[in-house]
Order: sequence, then C-alpha cells, then structure tokens
Amino acid sequence: MKRRHLLLGAAAAGGALIVGWSILPVRSRLGSGELLPLSNGEVALNGWIRIEPDGGVALAMNRSEMGQGVHTALSMLVAEELSLPLGRVSLVQAGPEKLYGNVAALVGNLPVHPRDAQPGRETATVRLGRWMVSKLARELGINLTGGSTTVVDAWMPLRLAAATARAQLVGAASLRWRLPATEIEVVDGVVRHPSGPKAHFGELAAAAAGTSVSNVALKPRGDWTLIGRAAPRVDVAAKSNGSAVFGIDVRPDGLLFAAVRMCPMLGGAPGAIANEDEVLRRPGVLRLVRLPPADGSTAGIAVVAHSTWHARSAVEALQVQWQAPPNGTVDSAQILRALEASAREAHEHGGGFAFHERGDARAALRDARVIEATYRAPYLAHATLEPMNCTARVKDGRVEVWAPTQVPGMARAAAARALGLRESDVTVHVTLLGGGFGRRLEVDYVAQAATVAAQTGGRPVQIVWSREEDFTHDFYRPAGVAVLRAALGSDGTPRAWTCTSAGDAISPRWLERGLPALAGPVDAPDKTTAEGLFDLPYDIAAQRIAHVATRHAVPVGFWRSVGHSHNAFFSECFMDELAHAAGADPVAYRLSLLHDAPRYAAVLKLAAQKSGWNSPPPAGRARGVALHESFGSVVAQVLECSIDAGVPRVHRVVVAIDCGTVVNPGIVAQQMESGVIFGLGAALGAGIDIVGSEVQQKNFPDYPLLRLANTPVIETHIVPSTLEPTGVGEPATPPAAPALANALFALTGRRLRELPLRLA
Amino acid sequence: MDLSINGQRMPLPEDLSDPAMPLLWVLRDLLNLTGTKFGCGVAACGACTVRLDGQAVRSCVTPLSAAMGKSVQTIEGLGTPEAPHALQKAWEQHQVPQCGYCQSGMLMAAAALLARTPKPTDAQIDAAMTNLCRCGTYPRVRAAIHTAAASMSAPARG
Repeated sequence: MKRRHLLLGAAAAGGALIVGWSILPVRSRLGSGELLPLSNGEVALNGWIRIEPDGGVALAMNRSEMGQGVHTALSMLVAEELSLPLGRVSLVQAGPEKLYGNVAALVGNLPVHPRDAQPGRETATVRLGRWMVSKLARELGINLTGGSTTVVDAWMPLRLAAATARAQLVGAASLRWRLPATEIEVVDGVVRHPSGPKAHFGELAAAAAGTSVSNVALKPRGDWTLIGRAAPRVDVAAKSNGSAVFGIDVRPDGLLFAAVRMCPMLGGAPGAIANEDEVLRRPGVLRLVRLPPADGSTAGIAVVAHSTWHARSAVEALQVQWQAPPNGTVDSAQILRALEASAREAHEHGGGFAFHERGDARAALRDARVIEATYRAPYLAHATLEPMNCTARVKDGRVEVWAPTQVPGMARAAAARALGLRESDVTVHVTLLGGGFGRRLEVDYVAQAATVAAQTGGRPVQIVWSREEDFTHDFYRPAGVAVLRAALGSDGTPRAWTCTSAGDAISPRWLERGLPALAGPVDAPDKTTAEGLFDLPYDIAAQRIAHVATRHAVPVGFWRSVGHSHNAFFSECFMDELAHAAGADPVAYRLSLLHDAPRYAAVLKLAAQKSGWNSPPPAGRARGVALHESFGSVVAQVLECSIDAGVPRVHRVVVAIDCGTVVNPGIVAQQMESGVIFGLGAALGAGIDIVGSEVQQKNFPDYPLLRLANTPVIETHIVPSTLEPTGVGEPATPPAAPALANALFALTGRRLRELPLRLA
Repeated sequence: MDLSINGQRMPLPEDLSDPAMPLLWVLRDLLNLTGTKFGCGVAACGACTVRLDGQAVRSCVTPLSAAMGKSVQTIEGLGTPEAPHALQKAWEQHQVPQCGYCQSGMLMAAAALLARTPKPTDAQIDAAMTNLCRCGTYPRVRAAIHTAAASMSAPARG
C-alpha cells in the first residue's frame, strides 16, 4: 500500500483526524441550546453556552480533566470571547450528542509527514485527507479526551459559540435600549452603553435567545485580555482542600463497595473456588459476582461488601483455581526477541509497511560508511495514581454510571453491552480523573461495574481495583524494537537513513474493543506504531522508514505520547550517534539538517541558548539534547546529568516548545514539567516484565518512578507563535529519554540503546 | 466506638468497625471523608497520608486500633475556605495541583514537616516528601513548601 492510498484509506475507514475548520461550515458546530439541561431562569444560547440568571455562564464541558488543565483552558476561551471574568464560567457536563465529539483527535491520527503539512503549505493530498477525516469524525462524534487535542479541537468552535452568544446579548441590549449595537460594549460580564444603560447577561438572556446574528467576528488577537495569560487554574482550591470529586469519591445514597480480582494470567479465567461459602459468611460481605472478559479485560471475580476493605479482604481470601489462557502463555523476553528478529528480517529485505520512503536508501547504503544500531523498549504500565474504579446503579431498566473516563460515549456503550440494554438507557457522569495518560481510554472497568451493579438489587456499587490489579491488568505501552542504519558522506552528513521497527499496533485492537463497528477485517497500518520514526524533519535525501505490526497476547493501549514515547528515543539517540560518528556537536549537527525546517531549528536554538549549551557544564556533569515533534508541537530538551553512586542523577532540564498560539503559558509550563518527569520516570524506572502471561511488577516498590528527591529543575521557554494551537499534554514526554541517554553518552562514552537506561 | 477527627468526635458503625480495618477505609467508606485517597495499599505512594497526633502516617497501613484515642487530622481539617492553611495558599500561589489526586497526601505530609521543621532545607524536604505524583508536581511542591514556611515565620503574622 502506498502512503497516499493509506492516507485516503484511513480517512475512508474513519481511522483518522483533524483540522480544517476553515473549510467546514462553522455554524454546524454551534449546536442547539436544546442540548443543555435547563432549570429555572437559565437560557441556553447554543449547544455550548448557557446563561445563568445571575449573569454567569455555564459552559458545556465535553472533555475530561485529568490534570492537563482543560477545564481551565476551555473556560478561558469562552470567557475571552464573552469578556467575562474567568471565575464566572461554571461547567456543566456535555451530553452524549455528536456535537461534542472530538474531530481533532481523528485528524491527528493521519500519517502525515511534516514536509507535506507545513502550516499554510499543506499538499493537496494532506488537505483532502484531513477534510475527509474531519467530515467523518463529525459524523462519528466520538467524545475522547486524548491525543493532546482538547484545545486544538475547541479552538474555533468554542470561541465562535461564545462570540455568537456575545453578539446575541449585545443585539438584545440594542433592541431593548434602542441604541446602536456598534456603540454597546461588554466589560467584565456587563453589557453597557456609554450613555448609561447597563445589564448583566442574565437580564438579557431570554431576549438574546430570540435574536439572530450574522457576521459574528472573533476578537482580534490584539484585544485578548485572557488568552495568552497565565490565568490561575479553576481547580486549585478544590484540589487543595479535599473537596475535588474523583471517580473513587462518588458517594450516591446506599452505596455498596466491590473489589475485583482478575486471573493473574492475562487472558486466563477463574475456575473453581474452594471456599466461596465460607468467605461469603464473613461480616460485611454480601455476594460474589463472576466477571466475564469484556472490553479487553481478563475474566475475574468481584465481591460486594459494605466497605472496600471488607470486599478486598474477602476477594483476596478466595481460593481460586486460575485457568491459563486457552492459547498458551507468553513471556515478554521471548516477545522482545521475536520483535527483534522481525525487525531485522524486514530490514534486510525491505519488508514491513513503509510509512515514509524517499530516494533509494538501500542503494545509498551500499559502498558507504554505515552506522547501524538496534534499540529496544519494554512494555510499560500507566500507573495512574487513582486506581481503576467505577460506580454504577442499575435500577428499573436504567443504568447510571459515574466514571473517571476519557471516553464517556464508549463507557456508555460498554455498560449497555454488558447488560444487554440500549445506550439510551445509560447515563454517564464523568468525574475528575486521578490521572489518565491513556489508560482511561479503555472501558473494561466500566463493564465490570455495570455487571456487578446488576446484582445488587438496585443499590449503587463502586468497584475499586487494588494497585496490584491495576499494574497486572493494564493495557500496556507495547514493547518495541527498531533497527536503524545510516550512510554518512565523507563530510559526515547522513546521505541515507533506514529504520525498521516492530511492535504491536494499538489502534486496531482499541477499535475492536471499544468501537467494533469501525474495526475492519484486516488491520490498517497504524500511524501510532511509526510516529516519531517516519516523520523526522531532518534533510536526508534517501529514507525508508517501515514498521512490522505484530500481534501478541498482551493487551496494549495508548500511553502518554503513544508511539512517540519510544520512537523518539530510537530516532533521537541514533541521530546523536551520527553526530558523534561525524565528530560534530549534536546541536550543530542537527541544525545543519534543518535548513528546510525553520520551526524545528528555532526551537532547538532556543533550548541550546537557554541551557548554555555552548558553555561547558559544571564539573562531573554532561549535557544531552533531543528534538522531537509530536501532536503538532515541536519540543527540544537539553538535559544535564551526573552519576551518583552508579545511578544517573538529572540536575536540570531546559525545555523549549513551539505549540502555536498559547492559551495559558502557566499550564504549558506545568505540562512541560509533567511530561519531562513522566518520561524520565520511565527512562530511569522499570519496564513491565511478563512471565507465563503474568505481569511481574505488582505495586510501586516493583516499579520505581521519579520522586521529589530525584526530580530535576525544569525550565520552560515558549517560542512565540500566531499559528493555531497544537498539543501540550504529551509532547514533553518523548524527548526526555533520548536527552538523558545522550547526556549519559557524553558523560561516560557508553551508548545505552535499551529502555529503561541501566549503567550497570 | 468513636474517633477524634479534625477536632470532632465521630461515631463509627459498630458492626463494620473492625480494629484491623485500615484507617483509610474507615475515613473513606464508613465516614465519607473522601479527601484522603487510596493509591497503593502498601504505604508506598503516600496518597493516603493523614496526621495522627501531628505525625504524618500512611493510613492505608494504619489499623483503626492504632488511631483510637488519638487525634486524627485529614485534609478536610487542614484549613477552611475562609482561613486556608499557609500551605493551601502557597499551593494556589505556585499552582501546584494537576490531576490533584496525590495532593491531599502531599499537603498532609508537608503540614507535618512544617510543624516539626518550620524552615526546612531542600534536603529535609527531599527526606520528608516521599509521596508519589504521576503528574510531576514535585518542583512546585518544593517551591510551595518554602513559600509556606516563609509566610508562617513572617513577623507580620505575629
């Protein structure tokens, strides 16, 4: 399959993504006010904006807050256009309607090379592919928080919804006061005319709803008072006094608690239980429910009790005969070896699916100075601090679900499937998420909660996984192996670059689980397998970047920055190897290959300048650099480390990012810190090992992560931009591991090509 | 049977109050004080940190029996909306929380630290703040603790 055909094929199959608001009728994402719940005196002006009687505004929130700051960022967009103080925007959960689907997430999944998609100079194929996918995405209306797309997706529709509401409010004032609309202004949520009349939004809302407007204009950039400012997050107080409600904090009347235990072998099942009756007679214990495999989960058992502890103690006491998976067990070490064999074999014979091909790379590799390396990455767990949990009530044929989820529509479908009901019988309440990182794009725990709640006589029940269940029944970041080869010219510049990677594809498995109607009979090439490998900005005339998609009996899922999470390690470490082979400075070497990629070059230069790259590091320390684009944003990191008692110690990370127009630079800085720490935690921590289909890392002591004491100083520098916003939540994660490995090479002369990084 | 929590006597349901039950689940499931979080169950992450007679403890491994007769402070008792604790003000100033799930435990650990060590050094903060945060709020936690320490010792506060 040619890449162009893939692009269009992916579009047609619904596998893809974003952009292109300019080519779509903007009004169609305004939505009807009938979509919003109303009580006394509230007036909905469209599908996003509801005016409250006191003059405040409720925003229909269609995205999940999992730390990335979207409740704040989206509130800022509407507060800006309405000239309303940020504190007067409240949130009301958006419903299941297609209006609230995520278009940008699907468009972002198209395998587009940056050369074909420079802003304003996109090729015809890219434009067409994006257009088709955005059309399709709107038809599908999949509500998903992920892919660093929340602000990208909301940027035009939310501001237009707010600007339209503002125009209606001004129009209503104009009619009421018999004064020209052009003379009426809105200041701090008050509509007023210089001659004296003024009113708050609530006083004008009913009249505004009957006012039609045309030619709605967005505020010009120069008039912004909120966008671009580090406005305080709207959720800090609640998250500092214990009142924030996460999934695990939901307490409907009559709540029961359940603990689940799944077969320790992935894909296995519970058999006979020796002491069921005895355990069920324990105080506080109510009943046992068998859990079939659903939405990718392994079969298990739940015990319902009057507290989580009673339930957990009971389920742990059950003597269960666990049955191995029917097709035999798997070991991660064996899988890694198989991946390496697949990658190597495909690399020798030009196999795998070529996501990018330019020039004749194989020919250029003959009779040249060739550098070759093989890189490896392990399975990883998400380890959200809030373990998987869900609360459900099944009563009178209706289901109510409270879930910390990134996909409320898929959660709704999962609950309906589990109980044989219609989706319209299910209501999903989205709580705050104690971390998501992609784990909560899965709905296995929702199906479990619905299954258990069907057995509790109408009483609501909350299932909470133990940390052990959470670690051992994740949807893991797939393990991956890449074979890279480059031909250097006599001046040291790369003339050819080939890469063949192997690893499981996530997207087709995810579609099978959650959106079976969209899963084709044959897996389409999955962009996420090769992102960060095929889309390099460097000017290398001959390239062949291919991936061998495999399928192993380990559930895999989206992990913060997905394919980039390991592919940036492969490509940016290998680039460092080439710089070293060429005897060149790693920053200067990259810059010499970025003449046609000015956005990348600017980011790299900023990080180098702010980090003092050209001055020597303190004694005993070395610096490493990495440059990587993901989710539309370009990030460079310069990392400074030393070795302390044989262990790498990271002192400082200087981050530069170009993420287009910045909505909230304070949140961008937070996310850069967050992404770096997430990436370093994985680079210095542990992988997930699987033996006999059983995950070996069962709790935090087995899976070390960064703590405060080993967290470096992190500085963020933003490249000013007037382009549309691009992703922020994930792009800081990919460069962290290669920046560290490259710094360790500079310090020790040892090239570490496997994650996690181990000096001994 | 009752327990002293945040300065109040709270009665416990007799039939469910097993002395071996971890304080975490007594707080969350019997008393609906959900500000204290469950993270690991093995005292490894600190999300469940509360104060027992002023000392930071991991409530997931602290049996109810160990809390009887002592004074329990949870995040709900750290400050009030009208009079937030200096740490809560510093948390706002430094915009510490992201997902927020670990923050109750972070704040309780920090409160215990400042009660014992009013002006902690970086090394003392490193040693006391072993709580896990998956969002990476650590640099801001450190900065906010220093800010709170400074504000609590400022002369203006008397």
